Formats: sequence, C-alpha cells, structure tokens
Amino acid sequence: MSDILLELKGLTKIFTDDAGTAEVLRSVDLKVPEKEFLCILGPSGCGKTTLLRCIAGFETFTGSVLIDGQPRTQPGTDRIMVFQDFNQLFPWKTVEKNIQYPLRLSGIKDKAELKRRSDEAIAKVQLTGWEHYYPYQLSGGMKQRVAIAKALALKPRIILMDEPFAALDAMTRRDLQKEMLRILGEEESTVIFITHNIQEAIFLGTRILVLQPGGEIVYDEPNTLPKPVTPASDEYGRLWGTLNAALYSRSQG
Amino acid sequence: MKKKKSETLYPLIVKIVFVAALLVLWEYVAKSGLLGEHSALIFPSLETIGAAFIRNFKVGFAGSSLWIYIGNSMKLLLEGLLLGIGLAFVFSGLSIISRTFSIIYNFVVSICDLLPGVALLPVVIIIFGVKPGVIVFLVVHAVIWPMSRNILDGFLAVPQIYVEAGRNIGLKGFRLLTGVYLPAATSYIVSGLKVGWARAWRGLISAEMIFGIASCPGIGLYINQMRTNMNNAEMYATLIVIVIIGVVVQYGILSPIENNTVKKWGMTR
Amino acid sequence: MKKTLKLMSALCLGTGILLGSAIGAAADDASINIAYQYGLAYAPLIVAQDQGLIEAAYEEATGDTLTVTWTQMSSGADINTAIASGDLQAGFMGVGPAVTGVVKGVGYKIFTNLSGQSHGLMTNDENIKSLGDLIGSSNQIALVNIGSIQHILLAKALSENGFDAHALDANIVAMKHPDGMTALQTGAVSCHLTSSPYIFTEREQDDLTELTEVSEAWTSEDSFIVGVASEKLHDENPDLYAALCAGISAAIDFVNASPEDTAALTCEYDGNSAEDELEYLGLGTYSAATSGVLELAQFMGENGFIDAAPASIDELVFDGVEGD
Repeated sequence: MSDILLELKGLTKIFTDDAGTAEVLRSVDLKVPEKEFLCILGPSGCGKTTLLRCIAGFETFTGSVLIDGQPRTQPGTDRIMVFQDFNQLFPWKTVEKNIQYPLRLSGIKDKAELKRRSDEAIAKVQLTGWEHYYPYQLSGGMKQRVAIAKALALKPRIILMDEPFAALDAMTRRDLQKEMLRILGEEESTVIFITHNIQEAIFLGTRILVLQPGGEIVYDEPNTLPKPVTPASDEYGRLWGTLNAALYSRSQG
Repeated sequence: MKKKKSETLYPLIVKIVFVAALLVLWEYVAKSGLLGEHSALIFPSLETIGAAFIRNFKVGFAGSSLWIYIGNSMKLLLEGLLLGIGLAFVFSGLSIISRTFSIIYNFVVSICDLLPGVALLPVVIIIFGVKPGVIVFLVVHAVIWPMSRNILDGFLAVPQIYVEAGRNIGLKGFRLLTGVYLPAATSYIVSGLKVGWARAWRGLISAEMIFGIASCPGIGLYINQMRTNMNNAEMYATLIVIVIIGVVVQYGILSPIENNTVKKWGMTR
Repeated sequence: MKKTLKLMSALCLGTGILLGSAIGAAADDASINIAYQYGLAYAPLIVAQDQGLIEAAYEEATGDTLTVTWTQMSSGADINTAIASGDLQAGFMGVGPAVTGVVKGVGYKIFTNLSGQSHGLMTNDENIKSLGDLIGSSNQIALVNIGSIQHILLAKALSENGFDAHALDANIVAMKHPDGMTALQTGAVSCHLTSSPYIFTEREQDDLTELTEVSEAWTSEDSFIVGVASEKLHDENPDLYAALCAGISAAIDFVNASPEDTAALTCEYDGNSAEDELEYLGLGTYSAATSGVLELAQFMGENGFIDAAPASIDELVFDGVEGD
C-alpha cells in the first residue's frame, strides 16, 4: 500500500483508577491511506473513542501514532477532531470567528484571506448568511456543520470525527450524512469516522472496520458499494448483515 | 432577540414605585414628629437632605468641596481595583499553569478571604507606614480574594470540551489560558467583578472612616466628620452620593460589560 | 400591578408599626438609660454601676425604685444620636462632642464634670523639639479623629503658641489610640497625640520625647469627660435628675476617697494590673466641677470646630453645675 497517511503501531492504552486497571486498547495496528473515509463501528466500551483520542493526542499511550511516518503524542492542527458534543464551538465567538480563530493561530494574519477561507468553509456546509451568529443562536445540526466547516477550513491531514451526528434527530442526521458525502466528493479529505450506526457506516465509509473490546479488529474491508448507497442498493442487505454479525458477535456468544 | 417591552418596563416600574414609597415613608416619619422634638436633627426631611446635598458640594468641609473628597476616594479606589483585579488574574492564571502554585494559591485565597480588611489595619500600617497606599492595600485586599475565588471556580467549571477543542487547534500554556480559560470563565469573572467592586467600595469607605489621612481626605472621612459634628443631613446626603456612585458603576460599567459578554454569548448561568 | 401595590402598602405598614412600637417603648418614669464609653476616664461610672449609687439616691429621695440601664457605646457621636432620638436620657463623652451636641441642639446640657486626664503629644524623632518644627513639614501626627478633643487640643496649643490653629490639619492621620501608639513605636508616623493611659506608656519609653505645648494647653485638671442629660429629663423629672447628679457625685467622691478599692474594681475593665490602675487613677482628676469648658467652647467657635461660640457657661451647663 502506498501513500500511508496514518499508521498505528502496537497502540496500547491502559486506564488506571481506584477500581483497578483496564486495558482499553491492546496493541492495535492500523494503516490508513490518504483520501480514505474510514468508518469505525463498535459496541459501547470497545475503545473506539479512546482510539480516536489517542490519535488526536488527547491521551497518553504506549506504542506509536505516525502521521506521514512522523510520531505524534500531542494534539496538533494536522489532526482535527469533530466531537459529538454540540458545545465544541466557543460560545464567545461568532460562527465566522470560530472558523477564523484556528486559521489565525496557524499563521494566517491577512484579514481578506481569513474572510475568504471562512466564507468558503461556511458555504460548503451551507450556512452562508449565518456568519455573525453566536453558537447559542444555532440548532444542534447547525453547530455540527460549523464544527465540520472549522475542520475543513484548516485543511488538516486527517479529520477525526467522533460520532458527530449521534445526538441529532433522524431527519437532521440524514441531511448531514448527505452533505458529508457531497463535501467529501469535492474535498477528498482523509477521515476517520466513529459511529455505532451500521447504516451510517455503509453510507459514508470507503472502508469499514469493526472493533470489539480491547480494540480488537474483527472486520476490516473496503466498502465497494457505489455511492450514494441506499437500502435498495445491491448487496446492502448482505453487508448490513455481515456488519451486524461482527458487531454483535461477542454479546451473542 | 429583543425582549418584549413589558418585560423591561415592569422591573423599572417596580423599582420606581418602591423608591417612591420609601421616600414618602421617610418624609412622613421626618415630618410627623414621631421621633420626638429633635427628629429634625437625627431624621432630617428630604428638603433638608436635598439642601445639604447641594451644600456638600458648594461648601463642603474644612474648605474643600465634597468633590475633592470623592476625587481622592475614587483615585485610591481605582488604583486598588486595577491592581487587585490585575493580580487576581495573574495569580489565578498562574495556578492554571502550575499545579503547585494552584495548591498554594487556593489555600491562600480561602484564608485571606475570611480576614476583614479593617482588622488588618494595624499590621498594614506597620508594614507600609501611614500613606494613602494603606487604603489602596485594603481595596486590593477587598477585591483580590473574591475575584480570585470566582476566577478559580470559573476555570474549574470550564467544560473539558472547550479545553480539548483549544488544545486541538494548537493552544497550550499561556495561550490556552487567554484563548479558552478566560473567555469560558467570563460569567464567573463578571460575578467576581460585581462582588469585588461592592466589597472594594464598602471596604474603602469603612477604611477611610477608621483611618483618615487628612492630607488625602476621602468620602469615608467626610462622613465621619459629618457624624462627629452632628451634621446628619449632610451625612445622609453623602450616603446618597455613595449610592449614586454605586448605581452609576453598576449600570454604567458592570451591566454593559455583562451585556456585551455573557448575555451576548448566551452564557448566563 | 395591583399585587405590587398591595405588597408595597404591606411593607409600608409593617415598617410603620415597627417604628411606632420602638418609639412607644422609650422613656419610662421609673427607669433611666445612660451611655458611657470605655476607659480609665469613666472610672466613677463603674463605681456608680457597681454600688447602685443612682438607684440609692433615687430611693432615698422618693421612696420608689429606679432601674438604671448602662450601655457602653463607642463614640460621642453615637451617644448624641441616641439622646436626640430619646433612647437615652443621659450620657458621658468627651467635652468636644458634648459642646458640639449642645450647640447643635441635640437637646441636652452638661450636668456634671466627670474627669480630667493627661494628654500629650509624643514624637519618635529627636529633631522635632517643638510644634513649630512640624509646621510645613510632612511629618504625620496620629490622633483619634479629626474634630476630636485631641484635634481641638492640638489646635489650641498651636493657637496659644502664635500659630494658625489649623496649621497642622493636613498632617493629621486619624487612628484609634492603640493603633496610633503602634504606628508611633514602629516609626510609621512621627507623632502621636493621645490621652491616658496610652500617654503614660509612651512617656515611659526612652526613645520617645514629648512636645509639651499640648499638655500645657490642656492639663489633667481641665475637663475631659463630662456627663450630659436631656433637657426633658431635667425639666420634667427633677427627682430623677437630682438622683443622677447625686449618684455621680457620690461615685466621684468614692473614687477620690478610696482609690485602692476603685482600682481593684476597674482594673479588670481597663485591662491593667491593679498597681498600674491605681497609679493611673492618681494621675487623673476626678471632679464634678467643670474646668475650662466655656474657654474651650469659645475656642471651638472661633476656629470653626462648631458653627457658633456660646456666649456664657449657662448655655452649656444646667443650673447648679460648679466650675467654668
């Protein structure tokens, strides 16, 4: 495989608290090539969020996280996280400023350039006209769009999305999934997308991975169904069944 | 997001009616002679207080108009407030960056917040000597601890997600403090300002009443003087001046700060 | 809105009732409320209280019992307000606030002198040898309050030595006696104008010297603490007024006749050893006759401490009070 963007080698994470120690991730190895949309499915407690947080640099771990072959242990703008929580935007900044602030931090000082970049990102998530609103004036779905726009504007090496649509109602989630697909068609970003929703993984992913507790990879295949995938697509039912079986293999056994 | 007119009007009407009722009651008590034949002396009527109000500014005491006393007090107050608020930010900020400092500072704040400034006067005089700086010190003492307590609590209450979102876009150390912790703690900081301002203002006046420096006389000394000389109308009129200054600061400075930050951002607790 | 009005009227009514009942509870014929302050200068009052001298005088004259309520207050200004409001019928305070109260029309006059005490101006700077050395300098003088008897005495000393009475006003720092003593000892101020017993402590210290103008201007023979009684008490209840005068007079006599017993009684209140207390009592003057009150009042009038100078001693004291 060429163009490996992200590589995990023997990634291990042990949580220690009063109750004892828990090995959340046990020597996980993973390679993610460029432009891949990797969906990670897994039951609660399988360590999928921890995996993403280790990649983002929010957790300490043993083993290594390599971006373009370089190790990473601290957060950085080459890996931007989109959280599930709607409150990830800074409430004291408008939509536009929320998007421009990280750009300014990354060294863009020219106001016109900042404006151009934020307008472009806002347009991509179809929020033109909402630039000067504060986060509390937006709905949950709109806040998640802003968070995605913030990530896109930074043009990171990889976007890490931790169940970003899980707290949305079904209608809004469907809209945002479609939007994601459209944007990715234009952007060709590399994304790791955590979800517990099989439909979402099939709809968005170009590769799907199923984790079981301990971070054990029990399924890892490319998603070859032609986009856009609908439940009526050929093979949808079979893939759904396979993923469902992989997902619930432990609890059933 | 404009409020309905009645929602802003109603509190105003309530306040006006309340104040009017108090004034009527005051005037009734003053005029009725309920307090005996000397009531004019100890419970002067509104007209007398009004005349004394003007006299305070025109004649004043010891050849100086009340303006001079207000000016002196405000100067010391402003110095103390700026210093106290500034130090509160610096120390609270340091305790985000250093854990050891945080442990020490939290401990110091808990203890010092309990000490009444006026009780510290003898110690302060020994350390600083007899200068207007002593008053500044007491203002700093009045403001720094509640302000720090609020900032520290505010930092503790900053949602983890803002911190992670900040770290994600490359903020750390001092820039994480100014970029995330401070704005995220604004509602706490604003209430710290309110408490700190009120304590500083009261602390200043009581300190001046106890410890009066004749070369730099302030409002507290003026009140004490009026009391000593049995000029009660002038004393009440000076209390009104104190209330007016308090209201001006509240509505002219603190409310706009609140409206332009936490209220604008939808962050009211 | 109706609700609000109801609430308002309820509040007004409530406050009115409270005020009314407070006023109704004041002044009762068989009782008297007297306020005094803290310290050695008030020693006869501790005696009068302990021995029930006012009660005894009243019972002897009328055959009825009297309840005396003693209240300790922290300043003459507080006592003035309380007498004006009718809560107190008599009080003891410095001659300064008493003159102010009479002139302001609080509704009382002086009915007795109580004591004279030592006052003095101490310095920790050996280069300061007289008041004249202080004028125009930035040396700070700690004293208890602007407008207090100590301030008036400073002004009087200045005036008697040919200076403007207010020449040192800007050098004053208002501090309580013990704080002022600490400030002087630590060098935070260069001068302290104080009264007994603090002045005794400071005089004993080798590194402090006295500027004698103040102690010469007002000696321990001169009136320091006086008793005032409301005109209402004097005019409407002569029996009680007479008992008050007799009781205080008897207490003063006791202090002069039995200083050891007095010291044993008061030392606890003043926080001194019995020996020190006895020595300090001996340095004060306890007398019912006033000394220098009119002179001081006129000085206060001439130098702006009060609005107008009284023309005669009768404006300040009730009939039958001895002295000037």
